[in-house]
Parts: sequence; C-alpha cells; structure tokens
Amino acid sequence: MIAAVQARPALRAALVASLVLVLEWSRALGAAQPGFTVVALLLGGIALAAVAIGWPADRLGLGRSRLGLRLIGGCALGAVLLLPAAVRSGTAPLLPAGLAMAAIAVSIGEELAFRGALYAALEDAGGAPLAVLGTTLLWTLAHALSHPPEFLPAVAAAGLLLALWRWACRDLVAPIVGHAIADLAL
Amino acid sequence: MRKLALLGVAAALYAGAAWSVAPGFYDGFGPPAPYNFTCPPPQAGANQKPSSGHADIPVTGGVSEAFSAFTDDGQIVIGFLPGAFLAGGKTTITVDITPLDTCPQPSGIRFVTNAYKITASAALNADKRANLTLRYSNLEPDPASVYQATDPNGTWTEKSSQPGAPFTIVTTTTTFGYFAAGYASSSPPPGAVTIGGGQLLPIIVAVLVVVVVLAGLPLAVMRRRRS
Repeated sequence: MIAAVQARPALRAALVASLVLVLEWSRALGAAQPGFTVVALLLGGIALAAVAIGWPADRLGLGRSRLGLRLIGGCALGAVLLLPAAVRSGTAPLLPAGLAMAAIAVSIGEELAFRGALYAALEDAGGAPLAVLGTTLLWTLAHALSHPPEFLPAVAAAGLLLALWRWACRDLVAPIVGHAIADLAL
Repeated sequence: MRKLALLGVAAALYAGAAWSVAPGFYDGFGPPAPYNFTCPPPQAGANQKPSSGHADIPVTGGVSEAFSAFTDDGQIVIGFLPGAFLAGGKTTITVDITPLDTCPQPSGIRFVTNAYKITASAALNADKRANLTLRYSNLEPDPASVYQATDPNGTWTEKSSQPGAPFTIVTTTTTFGYFAAGYASSSPPPGAVTIGGGQLLPIIVAVLVVVVVLAGLPLAVMRRRRS
C-alpha cells in the first residue's frame, strides 16, 4: 500500500494535501472552543509537524548549510509580514506564555506541513510551479475556517511569498523563523 | 535575479493585501473578525457599526429554557440557565442587546469595548447567574474587568471577571443594565506592552531590518569573496 502510494506522486500529493487540510481545519475548530484553545493549537502544531516525518531533510528545505543566511532570511520575512500591521498600528498585545508556545508550535507545524511535506509532494507530482501555486491554494483553503473572508487575500499573498522563498532559496528555515516571529508579535 | 524580482513582487502583493484589512496581518492569534467599534481608534481602518441582538426565550411549565442572546456580530453573548428568569406566568421572555451610540468615559475607567445595554421582559433569578461574554479587539489593550451600570452616565461597578477564549472576557450577572469591558485608567492596562511607549510592532520591525542589514551584508560579502 505504502509502496503503491510512493510510486504515484500525484496520489501521494493528494493524500498529503487531504491530511494537511483535515488537520488544519480540526485545529481551527478545536481552537475555537473556550478552554481548549491552547491545547488545540499545541496538538494541531505537533500533528502538522508530524506530516513531515519520513521526508529527507533536504527535500523539506531543512539543513544547516548557510544557516546564518537562512536565519537572516527569516528575519527579513518576519519584517515583511509585520510591516503593514506595524505601520497601521503601533501597539501589540503581549501573548500569554501558553499562547506564545502554541504560536511557535503552530508556526513550525504549518511550515513543515505546507512548505515542507506538501511542497515536496507537489513538486514531485508536477514540478515547482505546481508546488508554489498548490501550497498557496491549500494554505488559503486551510485558513478559511479560522479567518473571515476579507482576510483570505492576505493569507493567500503570505502563502505565495513563503512558497516563493521556499522555491527560490530551496529553504524552509527562513519561512519557519519568519512565520514564528510574525505569529509571536501579533 | 528573476527569483529576487518574483520575491519582491510577492512581498508587495502581500503588503497591499494585508494593508486592506485591519490590523494588517494574515495570521496570528488576533480575534477571528475585526471588532466593530462605536468609537473606532485611529488605527482601526474601515469600521462597521456594532450590531444589536434579540432573543425570544420560551417558558415551559413556568420555567424559562436554557438560551443565549447575542448580537449579530457576536461581540457580546449572554447565556441563561434553565429557570434563569422569574417568568411570572409569561410564555416567552424577550431579551434585547443594544450597543450605545456613545462611548461613556467614566472617571478612573478606560473602556476598550463598546458599551451595551441589555434589557429583558423579566428579571433574573438571583440563584441562576447569567454568563456574560464580551469580545474585544487586538487593537486595544486587554481589559481587566467587565463593568456594569444602571445609567451609562452614572457609576460603573467593576464585576468579578476572568479571561475566556482568546480576546474575550467573561463575567456573571443577576441584573441587567449597561455593560462594557475596560481597566482602571490609574494603572497600566493588563498585558500592555510599555517598552518604547507602547510602540512595540515598529520596534520589532526596525530590529529585524537592522539585523538583516547588519548581519546580512557581511555574510553576503563573505560568500561573494569565497565564490
């Protein structure tokens, strides 16, 4: 069964996409329940990260080569993601410790799932254009339950930016760092 | 070069898309929908008027049913247990929630939510407290308490309150009247960021830009020399 799925990249990409969507929607629904928010975010982040298990680190865009540049790239992405909010509003609430941990877990989990495993699966199935556009589309769909419709263009644009970085630099460290910085700041 | 240009275009696209929605961000742990302010702060951007709400609560066998009344935008929800009302022979009890058109500014209190008037056609049973949940915006400091008044221009009383789901504050009540959430203006707002005069986000972005420039340039030069 596993061998059959691995031999069919399109089938594998469809399975990974379905799994990631179900996990993200479950996380969003769980996080909306009073008293269950932090647990749902933490478990959701861990479950999303688990999607990347089995993929070689280099296929996920992970690695320690050029680590300094990757980390700086993460800072640059974080600055870009926060810039509109920083210009519009200077104040920011401080996240409670539990929620901050959850923010980090979700950031890492989402990047490993979307720009990591899903990107690699879609790239195998149809090349880089499918991987960039496919992860952006699924990323936007995944946020449809947790965000009102007027936020979805910004969600899609952020997904496109992070996916393009993943493609251009073959790197996932910077998207993880940028995503975590942005989620922690707001 | 083409990759760099594409990244630049994507960053510009994101800035435009994020700018069109307050607070200007794609994700994070802010409230799921923008807050509808009666008196929007300058940074709120496009603002819609807050909604009102109405509920008809059935009374069966002289006991009012468990029910929730809420505004259409979900910014205030009040939940009632079975028998929460002194029904007094009524078959239905009506509850109305109306946002005030004005923003009360009582001495010593800084409100961060709209003020709402809640009325009902029957009084509450003092033994069955109603749960009141107020949502607030991430554009304002977190409130410390819910306050209640019988007259919006009169005295506001602090109620025992606790945080609920993210960006909500919860209290209980046995009477109706006017409700709003805020904090004592004599003390710093709870959870408020005070470094840099409260301008945390611009400072974060500035630090990130400085890190990128100061650390990125030498790294790029070193890589160029090596290659």
